[in-house]
Amino acid sequence: MGVSDMIIAAVILAGAAYILYRSIWKKKGHCCGCSGGSCDKK
Amino acid sequence: MSVQASNKRQEEVGESQRGVLRPVEKRTITVAVAGNPNAGKSTLINAIAGTKLHVGNWPGVTVEKKEASFDYGGRRIKLVDLPGTYSLSPYTQEEIIARDYLVHERPDLIINVVDATNLERNLYLTVQLMELGIPVVMALNIYDEAEAKGYRIDVQGIEQMLGITVVPTSATRKSGLDELLQSVLATADDPAGHIPQQLNYGEDIEAAAQFMAESLHKSHPSLVDKYPKRWLLLKLMEGDGNLQKEVNIGQEALLDEALHHLKRAHGEDIEAVMADTRYSLASGLTREVLQKPELRKTELTEKIDRVVLNRFLGIPIFLAAMWITFKLTFDLSKPFSDWIGTMISGPFKRWAEALVGFIHAPDWTASLVTDGIISGVGNVLVFVPVIFAMMFFITFLEGSGYMARAAFVMDRAMHAIGLHGKSFIPMLLGFGCNVPAIYATRTLENQRDKTLTALLIPLMSCGARLPVYVVFIGAFFPSHAGTVLWSLYVMGIALAIMMGFIFKRTLFRGEAPMFIMELPPYRMPTFRSLMIHTWEKGKHFLIKAGTYILAFSVIAWFLLNLPWGVEHKKDSYLGQVGQVVAPALKPLGFGQWEAGSSLIAGLVAKEIVVGTMAEIYVKKDEDKKKEKPTFAEDLKEVGISFAKASKDSLANVVSTAGITSISADESAEKAAERNPLREELKKQYTPLGAYAFIVFVLLYIPCVVAIVAMVQELGSWKWFGVTFVYQMALAWGAAFIVYQGGRLLGLGG
Ligand SMILES: Nc1nc2c(ncn2[C@@H]2O[C@H](COP(=O)(O)OP(=O)(O)OP(=O)(O)O)[C@@H](O)[C@H]2O)c(=O)[nH]1
Ligand SMILES: [Mg+2]
Repeated sequence: MGVSDMIIAAVILAGAAYILYRSIWKKKGHCCGCSGGSCDKK
Repeated sequence: MSVQASNKRQEEVGESQRGVLRPVEKRTITVAVAGNPNAGKSTLINAIAGTKLHVGNWPGVTVEKKEASFDYGGRRIKLVDLPGTYSLSPYTQEEIIARDYLVHERPDLIINVVDATNLERNLYLTVQLMELGIPVVMALNIYDEAEAKGYRIDVQGIEQMLGITVVPTSATRKSGLDELLQSVLATADDPAGHIPQQLNYGEDIEAAAQFMAESLHKSHPSLVDKYPKRWLLLKLMEGDGNLQKEVNIGQEALLDEALHHLKRAHGEDIEAVMADTRYSLASGLTREVLQKPELRKTELTEKIDRVVLNRFLGIPIFLAAMWITFKLTFDLSKPFSDWIGTMISGPFKRWAEALVGFIHAPDWTASLVTDGIISGVGNVLVFVPVIFAMMFFITFLEGSGYMARAAFVMDRAMHAIGLHGKSFIPMLLGFGCNVPAIYATRTLENQRDKTLTALLIPLMSCGARLPVYVVFIGAFFPSHAGTVLWSLYVMGIALAIMMGFIFKRTLFRGEAPMFIMELPPYRMPTFRSLMIHTWEKGKHFLIKAGTYILAFSVIAWFLLNLPWGVEHKKDSYLGQVGQVVAPALKPLGFGQWEAGSSLIAGLVAKEIVVGTMAEIYVKKDEDKKKEKPTFAEDLKEVGISFAKASKDSLANVVSTAGITSISADESAEKAAERNPLREELKKQYTPLGAYAFIVFVLLYIPCVVAIVAMVQELGSWKWFGVTFVYQMALAWGAAFIVYQGGRLLGLGG
């Protein structure tokens, strides 16, 4: 695989990891839409 | 309009204005909505501000404060939904949240939502709210039911006796809301003219209060500014522990001196004396203003309850209600799930492939999109109709009042494990999603109940586990779908009771405090509120599919295709991990590395078990030389098949024959094309192994979000450790018993 492939793959992976991090850790277990859990929409 | 739930202190109220009431001019009017549990506070706010706060027909739905802002009559009003409380004493989390808000944040106004069908109990809180020195407007809610029962309430009488404005309302019918808001504005404009009457606690108490007021003025002048004065005095006399700690005058001579005489006259327990006084105020007032019709026929609620709460029939009826729920869930959703499946594996996949080809992306990205994202997310999306159907029925049970009965019926079983029926409510919430259920444990009085309940909640099968069950049930037990699903939920509850019993003997010794469950009357939920709350519950799964399930299916694809150029998925990173755990799963009937890999991936969210399996099992299309339909044909197909799905769904629910009749006329080949994962599973697992697998998925540790919630709510990682160990052991043990026991019984294997 070429360098460009590696870069694309790395970017996609980083993006996915970021979404995962954001939706799980950052909200500290509160999930949007779960009734009862709070969801800070500013 | 914006809805916010924040703990942010209201900016406008500076320190200097505490305790001083001034007309509210241009700034936002902050209105606290307080009242007994189940009085309709959240419903009222939803009706006024158009918000979608969770409403359910049982006490204790709202456990955190929530806010909603809107404009009315050219003014901005912020409503704060407080958890329902019976009093302002500091015993439960809800009481503390509500009272801290009222005392420390000092809203401009309180709307006291009162359940007109339970006047006396509700007035007990009203009496306490009036002590806060904040103007109170009473919404005499559920007035429609009170009228239907033939109650005659003297509204003006209440106004005169309490010195507050009273407006009859019906939040569900949206009547009286304008009058209520008018009164709110009028009161906010002239707060000083709307200070509630102070109720007289009788000579002795008043004298002691007087004495204390004087000495407090001398010794702690700052306190008098910081707290509502009368409230402070009364609470100090009551010996309110929290307040004493806050103001730091618990053991001082001041109190002893003031209470000395009182204690001689009334005994040591001043708190009880004051509570008695409040009760007699509330009941006296009720006697004055409320006229009930003389002869009351047995009400419908009572008639239903006589059967539903019957000592012997209660639990069987609960189990039957659940069974019907699951059967209907399946029948209703199956055609739509099939439709989504066909659409994703057909037109949608073709469009995505075309798109990737169009932008000349590298070849491997085509596989990432089709084998990774579409297989992973698509196979979860297929179950969205199932999840929504389930949430619909759960919402119905909540709104009608049956959930509260379920808790009541389970009370005895719960007592055996050292918990009371109130703990069953958070557990029932867990059927939707474990996360809010874990937060709901804060309605429980003490730390022991809270921790024990939170530990058991993950055994309640949440909506995210449904996709896994449904894939396997669809492949192996299509003709007994409802029953198999039911067996899993019942197993979850039964094991929760068993584990509770074990915990009670080991980690949590002690008796459950007595608790009297209040049973609300049955109510027919309105269609609108059913739809809104089904959406609110189900939406979360859609958001999940678009965020972390999407993200994880990308990561899983890489893990399945790295190191670069692996020949077989077995040798990929994820495959290797699967191979490591596989031997441990072998005795359970699913020793394939694929099962191991999916279960590990499922720690992120349980739907991902299905997504990952799809990524692993679904083979590349062996390009069948078939004419590819055009875009227009595809679109037409989408529409026609949706119409057919809707028709089938309706027919399913109506007919008793159920699902089988419909899938029977479908050719096997077509079914395989529509649902390749299902066909592959049939080759890989035995029915017994499949059942053991879904049992394992039911019981093994919850998703990371639930874990984070648990750590947050219980404040330590220790309990997560306990959960991890016991759930793994339980999952393994149960799956082992199912599989090996099944083999012994000759059920194949
Ligand atoms: N008939 C009738 N039912 C109502 C009215 N207002 C609310 N309800 C019903 O009362 C039940 C409780 O409503 P909620 O809004 O959840 O009550 P809450 O005061 O927020 O309760 P907690 O959050 O538990 O403190 C629901 O089933 C509502 O549909 C009303 O004016 N008339
Ligand atoms: Mg509420």
